[in-house]
Amino acid sequence: MKKQSMWSLRLSTAALVLIPVAVGVNYIGKLLAALLKLPLWLDSIGTVLAAMLGGPIVGALAGAINNIIYGFTDPISFVYAITSVAIGLVVGILFYKGFISSWGKVLVAGLIIGLVATVVSTPINIGFWGGTTGNVWGDALYTFVLAKTDSTWLASLLDEIVVDIPDKIVVVLVSYGIFKGLPQNVVQLYTNNQKIETLD
Amino acid sequence: MKSISLYEEKASFVHDVDPITKLWYIPFAILIPIILPSFTISFLFIGLSLVLLLGAKVIRKTIPVFGFVFLILITVVLIQGMFKPENETVLFQIGPLTMYKEGLLFALTITLRVINIICAFMILVLTTKPSDLVEALVRKGMSPRIGYVIVSVFQIIPEMMATMSTITDAQRARGMETEGKLLVRIKAFIPLLGPVVLGSLINTKERAMALEVRGFNSQAPKTYLYEEKTYQFSKVLQIGMLLLTMAAVSWRIFL
Amino acid sequence: MKKIIVEGLKYKYPLADSLALNDVTFDIKQGEFIGIIGKNLAGKSTLCQALVGLVPHFYKGAYGGKVIVDGLEVKNHSIADLSLKVGMVFQNPFTQVTGSKTTVYEEIAFGLENIGIPRTEIIERIDSVLDLLNIEQVKDHNPFDLSGGQMQRMAIASIIAMKPDILVLDEPTSQLDPAGSEEVFQAIQSLSKQGITVILAEHKMEKIAQYCDRVLLLNNGKVVDFDTPGKIFSREDLEGYGLTAPVYTRVCKALGVKKAGTDEYPVTLEEAERVLRGDGA
Repeated sequence: MKKQSMWSLRLSTAALVLIPVAVGVNYIGKLLAALLKLPLWLDSIGTVLAAMLGGPIVGALAGAINNIIYGFTDPISFVYAITSVAIGLVVGILFYKGFISSWGKVLVAGLIIGLVATVVSTPINIGFWGGTTGNVWGDALYTFVLAKTDSTWLASLLDEIVVDIPDKIVVVLVSYGIFKGLPQNVVQLYTNNQKIETLD
Repeated sequence: MKSISLYEEKASFVHDVDPITKLWYIPFAILIPIILPSFTISFLFIGLSLVLLLGAKVIRKTIPVFGFVFLILITVVLIQGMFKPENETVLFQIGPLTMYKEGLLFALTITLRVINIICAFMILVLTTKPSDLVEALVRKGMSPRIGYVIVSVFQIIPEMMATMSTITDAQRARGMETEGKLLVRIKAFIPLLGPVVLGSLINTKERAMALEVRGFNSQAPKTYLYEEKTYQFSKVLQIGMLLLTMAAVSWRIFL
Repeated sequence: MKKIIVEGLKYKYPLADSLALNDVTFDIKQGEFIGIIGKNLAGKSTLCQALVGLVPHFYKGAYGGKVIVDGLEVKNHSIADLSLKVGMVFQNPFTQVTGSKTTVYEEIAFGLENIGIPRTEIIERIDSVLDLLNIEQVKDHNPFDLSGGQMQRMAIASIIAMKPDILVLDEPTSQLDPAGSEEVFQAIQSLSKQGITVILAEHKMEKIAQYCDRVLLLNNGKVVDFDTPGKIFSREDLEGYGLTAPVYTRVCKALGVKKAGTDEYPVTLEEAERVLRGDGA
């Protein structure tokens, strides 16, 4: 029963209501990271939480809608919607497979999610910006690798990786911490897989 | 309440164009320069978009967006101009730094592409109320449930920001440090974010119930409080763009 | 005519160890104004939600017995279907704001658009509930900018506009000051007089005594008693259920004055006044 429900497209109302909250969490995470001058984006905590609570479809939807909405304040983010969708999908699958169930595993999961985000973002970076990301440290590395190897792809991949991996590890750690703080009756609300038992 | 969208209410002919048509303009303006890659075409489209933005009286609102983009584009120009692997022809030298023609041309291509895409999106974003766009899409057959999700984000984010600023003030008043060493700042992140996130997630339960009892999942055909807005020239503009795209494709194939 | 029939209703929330409702049986006639009282966690909210189908459809969990609302068995009908017959107003007005509308006027329209009411009728209905709940002056405000009391009244207006035959209210005046809550009760009473069946869970015993035809006393998920306010508030064991009778009842009890010819103490100001003046009645 649970196996089918991971990909169920019939979303419960609670799962749908989760999506705007997820987008809001992404937004304030990003805002807070900027406020505290943290060297990370931390703008995908909501997407990760939505995927953990509602599964890969909800996670992917949260990611897509997130970037569409961000697009209304900063049009470039439309282009990166695919990355957000990938993050939502992968987190949903990893969580379902039990890879986000202890602090140690979360670290590995963060690494995987960071890699996926990198692999998806790199072609976008190359197509859109010629390979750079606008992040000072990443772009310095890009320049260095490009000068050494002449490979735009390698340089661009490394440019993205140095920013994405630490970011996603922290994001997944924070999300897992919040997830553990949620009351159980809220956690079970979003999945559509329970049936009504009978007491007759 | 503070709005997060960049939409600016003005009276202009661009504002009066159907949101769906403005949505179509985005792939149109992006595709044609890809089908017919030349600087002339790119400049033509950027020019067209800028004229429309000017006509819509929203050009000032584009400045912060472009400011941010130009910052990134400058690094693109510098890095590509100096280090692009295909660089051969020296254009000029500033001290130890050498700029090459190939890299700079490539950077120009990127710059034009980025500006073109952003201009096309801005026409939609700056002149269309998000809820009007969503309502237009729902009338065209998009799920009203998804429509709800998109529109509600615009209301929920300012709500959450207000809650967060209350919490930030309270935590600072209680002596939490939000400045100084990196570790101090990292430590501040969770207690500032956590309560807002937990509270918002817990609220989803009651909000979902409240939606349910107001017929959110009703099978009845949806009606609308407002009459469908009628727009002039929607069909003409949409067909025009389609024809131009087809013309561009055949130009590319046959000429 | 029986509008609501509840028979042997049992309900357990998912992950819970004990029953939230345990063998609840009662019925309500068309047009009655019913109060539900009981201490926290007695099952008031759960019972309210069972009447609109949130229990069990929203929560899932374990369900037994039968609830029939206006001829529809809740177990076999969707919340959307039931929402055409029975409306529900929740405690927290803030979480009831849909968040997808930018004015009070549009907010009230939300439910009506969902259930497919024609446009002209939507406008008529909104204008009438704005007037009924006295929130006309804020109709163009953003719902989130309202005060708690205005928000509460908007929440009630949003449900009433859907014209349900039955109205379930779960502590609808928790955010209101005495004057505001009196206004809301007046509005609910006028609906009741139009023939709408009203079920109200409430902590304010004076209001229950003043407005309700009958009162359902719940304790630990079970029905203790279901009778007139006079009978319920005259019970000697009320405090054992964590409840305090209306102040008028307590005064008369202390003075030992009952309504003439009955075993009941007065429950409202008017009754107490009559008895204390010695009018009998």
